[in-house]
Amino acid sequence: MNYFTNGFLTAADLLLNMDKATFSAVEATLSSTTIALICAMILGLPLGFLIGYTNFPGKRLARLISDTLLAFPTVLIGLLVYIFITHRGPLGHMGLLFTIPGMAIGQTILALPIIVSWTAQAIENLDPRCRQTLLTLGASPMQTALHTIREVRYDLGMVCVTAFGRVVTEVGVAMMLGGNIRYHTRTMTTAISLETSKGEFAQGIALGLVLLGIAFIVNAALTWLRHKGRV
Amino acid sequence: MNKFGKTLFGALLSLAFVLPAQAETLMMATTTSTDNSGLLDFLAPTFKADTGIDLKWVAVGTGKALEIAKNCDADVLLVHAPAVEKKFVADGFGVDRRQIMYNDFVIIGPKADPAKIAGKSTADALKGIYDAKAVFVSRGDKSGTHNAEKKLWKANNLTPDQEKFYVSAGQGMMATINIAAEKGGYTLTDRATWIKFAAKQGDANPLAIVVEGDKALFNQYSVMTTNPARCSNVKVELAKQFEDWWVDPKTQKRIGEYTLEGKQLFFPNAGK
Amino acid sequence: MSQIFEIRELRKEYGGLLALDLPELDVASGDLVSLVGRNGSGKSTLLRMLAFLEKPSSGLLNYLGGPEPRREVTLLLQNPYLLKCSVFDNVTLGLCLRGDRENLPARYAEAMRAAGFADPQAMASRYSSQLSGGERQRISLASRIILKPRVLLLDEPTAHVDAASERMILDTVRACLGQGTTVICATHDRQLFSDFPTVREVELRRV
Repeated sequence: MNYFTNGFLTAADLLLNMDKATFSAVEATLSSTTIALICAMILGLPLGFLIGYTNFPGKRLARLISDTLLAFPTVLIGLLVYIFITHRGPLGHMGLLFTIPGMAIGQTILALPIIVSWTAQAIENLDPRCRQTLLTLGASPMQTALHTIREVRYDLGMVCVTAFGRVVTEVGVAMMLGGNIRYHTRTMTTAISLETSKGEFAQGIALGLVLLGIAFIVNAALTWLRHKGRV
Repeated sequence: MNKFGKTLFGALLSLAFVLPAQAETLMMATTTSTDNSGLLDFLAPTFKADTGIDLKWVAVGTGKALEIAKNCDADVLLVHAPAVEKKFVADGFGVDRRQIMYNDFVIIGPKADPAKIAGKSTADALKGIYDAKAVFVSRGDKSGTHNAEKKLWKANNLTPDQEKFYVSAGQGMMATINIAAEKGGYTLTDRATWIKFAAKQGDANPLAIVVEGDKALFNQYSVMTTNPARCSNVKVELAKQFEDWWVDPKTQKRIGEYTLEGKQLFFPNAGK
Repeated sequence: MSQIFEIRELRKEYGGLLALDLPELDVASGDLVSLVGRNGSGKSTLLRMLAFLEKPSSGLLNYLGGPEPRREVTLLLQNPYLLKCSVFDNVTLGLCLRGDRENLPARYAEAMRAAGFADPQAMASRYSSQLSGGERQRISLASRIILKPRVLLLDEPTAHVDAASERMILDTVRACLGQGTTVICATHDRQLFSDFPTVREVELRRV
């Protein structure tokens, strides 16, 4: 199997020589996932907190919907967003299809239920004595809420890191909404699937190695947060 | 909450950087064969140098490429399914169709050639596969190659779709050839992908060309512009430059200069 | 001595089940009240209502102290919880919540010494997982007495600690009483306050 050794040798070469196509794929991946993650956090953290912390009519339904969306097939997200942002769709005039922000929309939708559900879960799992302790120390409702968030900060960190890991390794949404355009919207995952379909394994392996590296960093972050959260 | 403010600011900043990067670019929907063969990578820098336009392309099957243009999501097209293209223009989805070049298809199959069709005409070869019930792997993805293949079966009054030996892959050309190699089957491929496959396999190649050079295997490529009357976002001026550039003698000559593994792949024929 | 709590016909129900039924109780400022009774007699329920964590189902519960009851009454939970921050931050949290950040290190040291820690500085940057049960209990106590509360409510403060910690906790209670704090303590141990000069025992009946 000299596919394999050749692939790895060329991959090392591409990475060490900062190959333009390889690094532009890394860059496209990181910029779209960063935008997506930030949007999903801005929307998802407060929503997840509300669901987990407060009691309102429809809370259980909201949680159920979010939990269901966790299983949303990524190609379906891609398709739905596609319908919205194609030029003949309702948001067509914004010209988002086949752009990084367009991809980021789909990835935001992918990350959102993870952040909402798991944030709610983290708050619900928190020891009820935490709230009582804050109240007996004289905290106002607002202070109680803020310190509750502070208390689950490592859990929230884990939620966001997990969502990042999910989005960065996803291929369906990136392919459908980004279009895999070289130097623009070709991400690591779409490049891997393209290179494989072309029978070019080296760049696929190079990008796969970068993805593995990112996965390693993500998991190191998770381990660290889990450790910090145990104090 | 200072940290949060910083994060938000960073997010907005990154959006600001990403959004305005759309000056003087032309969006093309094309087929996988032009991209996978490396032709576009070979020509795009020349296009940029000649016109100053940044060409971006999504490489998909011809069916999907036409669909993208129908939805106004591409300015121009480079595809290879003449009958479908003509209908596309007649239906008012595209304008200004110009033929620019051709390459050819080949029928490949196992070296042992179980259906005994090597060297025959396309018509006899297909009949041979059909009668021998030899495995045939089809792209099955509405691509230009798939269309050409369906046309060939139909021209010989054969309907293999429901037969057991007919495998519909639903994937790109290289993946389809790989399936044919694994299953010991025949398939129809463009020559560029075949050359790439053969170069990679070297002496261990389980497949070989069985039919080539037949007029019926002629594969015409054309460029088109998405109808601006339907899609107001189409960059008409840039699209015009794009079409003119392809039929320009200089470009035509350059198309002929592109080789893969020392073999010419595309034959310019604009205006012919 | 002025009165600080006035209770009449106080009842608390959870989903139709009566958890507490207390016809009458008056607590004077500076009292030490020992709340006894068997399991399920409503001792913790009463303390939670006195700390304003829960509202009575019916009856009268009047706090007659100052204008900010939630900041004048504090409860030490039976099995105290420390937040995921350092001992120093845990102990000074109540003051920070009140926006009172003056001279925190000195007040921290004072409260910790009162809770029986000889070297408060050594404890300052530790975390919950590095502490014994008795230490956690006393740190929680320190986080309450640093607030100089009018009323200190204790729920079985000595239930899960060793003899040494129990002695230190009782010393802390004694010091609080000396400063005029009202202490109401739920306990199984009728002998707990036997050394104290004045202790009022209130027995809750099981309902």
